[in-house]
Amino acid sequence: MWQVYFKELTELLRDKKTLIFVILLPILIFPVLFGIVGLVMATTTSKAMEEQHRYVIVNEQQAPEFAEALFYHKNFKKVETTLSSEQELVAAIRNDEFDVALVIPADFASRKAAVQQTEWQLIYNRSSQLDFMYNYFDEMLKEYAEKLQRGTLSQLGVDPANLTAILKPVELTRVNTAEQRENIGESMGAILAYALVLLCLSGAMYPAVDMGAGEKERGTLETLLICPVSRTAIVLGKFLTVLTTALMTALITVVSLGVWGAIISAFADLSKVSEALASITIVDLVLMFSLLLPTAAIFAALLLAISIYARTFKEAQNYMSPLTILVIVPLMIAMAPGMELDVTTALIPLTNIALAIKELLKGTADYGLLALIFASTTALAGALIAFCVHWFQQEKVLFR
Amino acid sequence: MIEIKGLAKAFAISKGNKLSDTEKQDVRYSEKAFHSVRDVSFQCGAGEVLGLLGPNGAGKTTTLRMLSTALKQDSGSVFINGIDVLQKPIQARKEIGFLSADTGLYGKLTAFENIAYFARLHGMKEADIKARIDDLFSLLDMHDFANRRVDTMSTGMKQKTAIARAVVHSPKVVILDEPTTGLDIMTVQTVLDFIKSLKASGTPVIFSTHHLDEVGALCDRVVVIDKGVSSFSGSLDQFKQLTDGGDLRQAFLAVIANQPQQGAA
Repeated sequence: MWQVYFKELTELLRDKKTLIFVILLPILIFPVLFGIVGLVMATTTSKAMEEQHRYVIVNEQQAPEFAEALFYHKNFKKVETTLSSEQELVAAIRNDEFDVALVIPADFASRKAAVQQTEWQLIYNRSSQLDFMYNYFDEMLKEYAEKLQRGTLSQLGVDPANLTAILKPVELTRVNTAEQRENIGESMGAILAYALVLLCLSGAMYPAVDMGAGEKERGTLETLLICPVSRTAIVLGKFLTVLTTALMTALITVVSLGVWGAIISAFADLSKVSEALASITIVDLVLMFSLLLPTAAIFAALLLAISIYARTFKEAQNYMSPLTILVIVPLMIAMAPGMELDVTTALIPLTNIALAIKELLKGTADYGLLALIFASTTALAGALIAFCVHWFQQEKVLFR
Repeated sequence: MIEIKGLAKAFAISKGNKLSDTEKQDVRYSEKAFHSVRDVSFQCGAGEVLGLLGPNGAGKTTTLRMLSTALKQDSGSVFINGIDVLQKPIQARKEIGFLSADTGLYGKLTAFENIAYFARLHGMKEADIKARIDDLFSLLDMHDFANRRVDTMSTGMKQKTAIARAVVHSPKVVILDEPTTGLDIMTVQTVLDFIKSLKASGTPVIFSTHHLDEVGALCDRVVVIDKGVSSFSGSLDQFKQLTDGGDLRQAFLAVIANQPQQGAA
């Protein structure tokens, strides 16, 4: 078995595709993801924040203070227009004559004096993902509305010292009992588990295809089968190689995440993230790895069984494609809001692993449930390994 | 010594696979199975070279796969030096050196690594492996590409490596499936010389081929398999005597055209 294992490992390490999938991809995936997402977000945000919006204001004489504040706002540029109806303004925005139109009712001043509510209309294209323009209007309007409220209440003889309590009699403040680690674990845990499990799968996929269908296609399998070694030893040697690559992929990913996380935290001054990550203990990491081990074994056994059945490399890849979807679904379930780890979810394959990793990152894991997950996943892995060994004894599978 | 008696092997036909009219006429097809080998018997003694002939799809490779223990026969028996391959396949494999129609080499390993890997799988000690491989490299003139990766080798180099791999454990019997197919003249000569050296050392050699000149030059015995049955089994002289002029090609065609014939053992 070990002869087969070391030979397979040697071949894989000399294979460029393996090096890309098992080593390069896990090392680069996080910095590339962080980099691309960060760059895109920073660029679009900065562009959106610096953008100057052309506006028209209808009936501005009704609210001169607001019109003045808007005029001096750095993100707005006034455009003169004689248009006033909604249809005309919408058409003008669509023709790119200006970006936004604020319509103040013609009777706003008189209604304000009579202490009556009025409705202002903001016409603009809302398709943009970063709706900074609305936020600017909203802030200015709140400020303006507060001024009006204070003016009106003063006119009604209310003591200015009591104005704040009258305007907002109750202020709700939130005291979060969750530790920083729990917050970060909740938001990052499911995504990390998703990435880890999928990388385990992708790390196992190529070597599995190569060692089963690939050997058939190259004609080396037959030569191997007539060596004085039991077929069980051969298939277990292959299984261990696939398992090793799957775990290596996951391990490199975790290390890469740690290293790049530390670098990014240092540069971006994310001290709270650093502190939270630092509170994850070695025991937590060992437990995470212990849960990934039977998961990777499940993938290795399943992929190898598929690969052994396939006649060619391409056929094996075709069989394996739907498997990725089957793996993603339980991981997505784990990411659903409100999904918690309990006795039921602890028995759902892959969902349980993703939830357990999340709990471990949060520091709130129930060790009894972790033991249950480990036992159920190991039992499933054992059954699949047994099936894989049985499968490898079948002539109808090996010589299809 | 290789003894084969009444060997048969059938492969199930997948449900939904309908037989063509030609297949319906073929005696090897039944409703549920394709009887690739139906009744093959022959034997090959020490120092004998046996040529296995037959049209494409006749059942030669399936027969050789059963001899090499890659496939289990449905009925009949195969004994390699008295070892029943069905009962003791691991023990039988130690006795066999098998070269498949594909070279069966790992492209990312060097010639040395390929051969050493199979030597280890045959349980050879590390100390013996290097010496044995050195001998084989000299015998097959392989020193120049000993450390070259297989995926960069020529067809001839690959075939020499495959032969060295097949016999690294000094097998008691050697089975070669079309060992000269697709090779240049020089490499063919190396292969044929190697078979002669095996014969000289008393090793029984079975090789399947379509090259009747090789049969004439090397073989002591000839077996013709047609439609899964050993239609002829006898000495080379008996095979030649099937036609007046002793022409091997005519003899082969006569066996295929006629009912099964049995030469004197």
